[in-house]
Amino acid sequence: MPRVPPAGSGVAPELREGEGAEPGAGSARATNAAEALGGEWAGEGSRRYLVVERRYGASHLHGHVSVGDLLPTAGGAWPGFGFLPGAAAQPEGPPLLFLDLETTGLAGGAGTYAFLVGCAWFADDAFVIRQFLLSAFTAEAVLLSAVERLASGFGALVTYNGKSFDVPLLENRLALHRMPGRLPDLPHVDLLHPARRLWSDLSGEGGGCRLMTLEEAHCGYVRVGDVPGFEIPARYFDFVRSADAEPLAAVLEHNRLDLLTLAAMTARVSAMLASAADGATPREQLGVGRLLEAAGRVTEATACFTLAAAGAVAPSPVRREALRRLAMGLRRERKYAGAAEAWQALLESPGCSTAYAREAAEALAIHHEHRRRDPARAREFAAASLRHGQSERTATALRYRLARLDRKLGSGAGGTLDL
Amino acid sequence: MTAIAVRRSDPAHDLALQGALERLTGGAVERPDTPDGWVTAVRRLPARDAAYGAFPDAIDPRLRAALEARGIERPYTHQAEAMEHALAGRHVVITTPTASGKTLCYNAPVLSRILTDPSSRALYLFPTKALAQDQLAELHALSDVLSTPGDLEIGVFTYDGDTPQDARRAIRGRAHIVLSNPDMVHAGILPHHPRWAKLFENLRYVVIDELHAYRGVFGSHLGNVLRRLRRVCRHYGSSPTFICSSATIANPRELAQALVEEPFELVETSGAPAGEKVFLFVNPPVVNQQLGIRRSYLSETRRVAGEFLKRDLQAIVFAQSRLATEILTTYLKDDFGSVPGAAERIRGYRGGYLPQRRREIEKGLREGQVRAVVSTSALELGIDIGALDVAVMAGYPGTIAATWQRAGRAGRRTTRSAAVLVASSAPLDQFVVRNPSYFFDASPEHALVNPDNLQILLDHVKCAAFELPFSGQESFGSHPVNEVLAVLAEHGFVHRIDEEDGTATWQWTSESYPADAVSLRSISSDNFVIVDTTRGADVIGETSFTSGPETLHEKAIYLLEAQLYQVERLDFEGRKAYVRQIDCDYYTDAITYTKVTVLDACAPNRGEVHVTSRVVGFKKIKFYTNENIGSGELDLPEQEMHTTAWWLTVPEQVMEGLPFAPDDRRDGIVGLSFALRQVAQLLLMCDRQDIGVSIDSGAEDDGEPRIFIYDNYPGGIGFSEPLAVKHGELLAHAQALIAGCPCAQGCPGCVGPLGDIGPLAKAVALRMLQALRQDPAAIEAAPAADEVPF
Repeated sequence: MPRVPPAGSGVAPELREGEGAEPGAGSARATNAAEALGGEWAGEGSRRYLVVERRYGASHLHGHVSVGDLLPTAGGAWPGFGFLPGAAAQPEGPPLLFLDLETTGLAGGAGTYAFLVGCAWFADDAFVIRQFLLSAFTAEAVLLSAVERLASGFGALVTYNGKSFDVPLLENRLALHRMPGRLPDLPHVDLLHPARRLWSDLSGEGGGCRLMTLEEAHCGYVRVGDVPGFEIPARYFDFVRSADAEPLAAVLEHNRLDLLTLAAMTARVSAMLASAADGATPREQLGVGRLLEAAGRVTEATACFTLAAAGAVAPSPVRREALRRLAMGLRRERKYAGAAEAWQALLESPGCSTAYAREAAEALAIHHEHRRRDPARAREFAAASLRHGQSERTATALRYRLARLDRKLGSGAGGTLDL
Repeated sequence: MTAIAVRRSDPAHDLALQGALERLTGGAVERPDTPDGWVTAVRRLPARDAAYGAFPDAIDPRLRAALEARGIERPYTHQAEAMEHALAGRHVVITTPTASGKTLCYNAPVLSRILTDPSSRALYLFPTKALAQDQLAELHALSDVLSTPGDLEIGVFTYDGDTPQDARRAIRGRAHIVLSNPDMVHAGILPHHPRWAKLFENLRYVVIDELHAYRGVFGSHLGNVLRRLRRVCRHYGSSPTFICSSATIANPRELAQALVEEPFELVETSGAPAGEKVFLFVNPPVVNQQLGIRRSYLSETRRVAGEFLKRDLQAIVFAQSRLATEILTTYLKDDFGSVPGAAERIRGYRGGYLPQRRREIEKGLREGQVRAVVSTSALELGIDIGALDVAVMAGYPGTIAATWQRAGRAGRRTTRSAAVLVASSAPLDQFVVRNPSYFFDASPEHALVNPDNLQILLDHVKCAAFELPFSGQESFGSHPVNEVLAVLAEHGFVHRIDEEDGTATWQWTSESYPADAVSLRSISSDNFVIVDTTRGADVIGETSFTSGPETLHEKAIYLLEAQLYQVERLDFEGRKAYVRQIDCDYYTDAITYTKVTVLDACAPNRGEVHVTSRVVGFKKIKFYTNENIGSGELDLPEQEMHTTAWWLTVPEQVMEGLPFAPDDRRDGIVGLSFALRQVAQLLLMCDRQDIGVSIDSGAEDDGEPRIFIYDNYPGGIGFSEPLAVKHGELLAHAQALIAGCPCAQGCPGCVGPLGDIGPLAKAVALRMLQALRQDPAAIEAAPAADEVPF
């Protein structure tokens, strides 16, 4: 059980007397926010910010996932974490800092700032979340330096979409205050990209990869009364103007849930990378294969593609993609016969797109011309590839191939095939 | 231009030019002005010798060596003077003629500073993207010589709307010199200043080229963009020196100071040599005395340009519109075009041509294969096309400054050149061509800006608050910024944080990105979009809210790139006008009823006013002849605006002293207001739509009619004050315009087209002006000072 009560609960009515006080009316407002959100003030005067800390013990359940099951093994990370793009080279992994910002909007530019910096890490068999809340703009520089101090104890960042959003935003805020920042230079795993590799809808553009969708699917956690993202900036502005911190409690909770899910998903993805076969779907095996491939683990990747191709139902995009990746992986490993088998299977699989069919037929044409020395078969595949449509450049290359094959056929086997 | 092309005087060339001039002037090249003649004026502008100065000691020796290697062993006096000021950290504004080497005035101190301190950065602002591109090539030539690979590589980049997203980060990191435009600084750089921290921390110079382009609304916006820029610089601890260059205007120093709000040094005497130039004014002859119709000025331009082209002189012909450009290009190609297959000797040039085509034409001009180019104002600014023999202007460019700039496109440093202005029948043209001394002897126009226009200010305070929180003690222009911020706070954009020590900070509390909603080229972001429904529904343009009803009412003709469109439906609430392409030979002119009420007179003849206007109908006007060929009625919502105005009251005794019937007197007032509007536009150096005119017939009130000329922008742009100062001049010019016009009873060149006004309007207006100019009461209102206060 967390040592500190959850936010928003247990605040006695008599402690809310500061509500509606004049903005900046000193201690009443300060007490109010600290009480309402369950935190403590740091900094001084108008340079004060609120620190809200929660500790989730090993037995805490996030959906069906317990914090105890998430605890990293040696070195502060999990086996397999090192295969994630952006992770530092050490196989054990450094102590990780999970980071998630709540900002005043998505417009970008100097007027968009982080009013809540959520940081989290594993320590002493627990998951600790420390949130830094900006009560007034004047405190931003001291708040940022507190975050910097905290980050200096960690070896890598883990975020969800942090490469495009959270970290550049913090980098800009540091630059605005002319502060040298080390946080932006830390090794950084942005879990959004691996998540897309694993779970995005293959027919669409990265759909189904919202953190909350993953939370429901993989942690079995369904949020009740969560603040929709678009409402968050307005709640913060209301707090700035009215000094009423109450509506912010749900925003802080939203941020904490995001961090919990981020940690849970990082653990899960790491585990899958360590052993792809364990309880993974063919779709996930395909994704793990691609991640391993990107990490240079070609043999392990090929094994994943084989599993995915074998496990997926015949007309699925997962099977076709797995076959294609498998064929490319085997070719790279110079296992040409296996590659040809995969290309052949791809070409024959129902629903194969013209682009993939063209690619497979061309690869098979090369295979039959150079490895199998069978120009007649090669010519069939080259002609098939051309029929599937080509760009001007590749079509020219194919016509050269056809002409060459025709010459070979003319001098050797004799006779030509019509297109 | 940095390279000095020395060309010996060429007798054959001089002879050809002399021949063409003698032919045009009927042999009398030396003669007094003849306002009623075909050639109304011939002026010789004597040759000037080069005056050299010395490189200031502070110029880095490496730069000096690089310049010497390019043939620049010593700078002209104006270049030396400008470098001296800039290197010493004094803001400087340079006004020298075209082709006098003004770019060296800013490139030298900037590059020198980068060489001595490689962390230094500079920001160049050009009014258009094309000019920035043009400068890029020249700067690269110098910076490449000065860079030492692996040590100091001087990065010079353009940064504008065309810069690819993936190149932007690299540019932010590597650029020593960023070439951009005010719109990009406003919406792309300042709002993202943390990304540009390195630039702002080390910003030593800001160069503003073509300073004179920033007048009126655009200039008022720029003043605020510069306030924001300097505010961000202060935040990052830098205080850049400004180097501005301007075409010849009456008040370059005041304009620079109004925009930057700091004292400036002025360098205005050019040390560059110039060959002799002959300037001709040509007025096409009257073909219909009754209607005051003259022969087409485009045909006249064709003839004039032909005299030079057939003597193998290289010419640039300036036209006023894209349509006129295309017509003249066709005419000249018919007369002088190449044989099929050969490289084209006659080229058109205007906005809308692809960059590659433009570069090809510019090169052809520099190298001489292109013998004539017909251009819009696109070639008026500093694009490098070399120097030609003759500049012919089809129509008065609108301002003295622009006319000199166009004329400056002709004239090498040692040979003779010519410039010819061919007047159209527009009132402004007629006034200038018939009063040559107005152009040759008077000072050029004042460029006016009003960065404290409340609407503009409010928009930029919003942008500035987004960029950095305001402190309670900060100032932003002359308004107390806390008041403006309090207004923004009411709308939730900012929130005031009171600190314990009594100071305050204004925190930005909005999700918006305010710069996106502010266009530097108009006052209000509210606008109408124009949707072409000829094929589908394409948005082809936009128009400000205030001018929407006048230009986009139903049945209005809308012009875009020489294509005519007719408005089929105006969705006033939805702010959309649906148009369709058509072919017709007329355009439309809206009839607007305007009522002006004086709110607060701050002088006898100017003050704050309330303007209510409603478009009630329109006229169809035939192209070229300006004949009125039909009309229609309209019912559009009323528009209201609070602005500033100048006014002329015609005293009762003047009205009663006129030997005309009341109706004719009223016509006289209408005619007078028509002429005053033209002259005001002339004196204010503004565009036609910048001002509005309204008549209060005086039926109610004290019975004395009044003519108002108001700033056609909410809040005013600062025109009324100079008009009040120039009250006397305004009346004198109006009198000269009307009296000098050869028409019998009024025409579009003086008091308005006959048919719109009564037959006696011209006579009445003239009598009125005589009386007004003699009446001490009317003159008294005008202060004697002839300078425009800022």
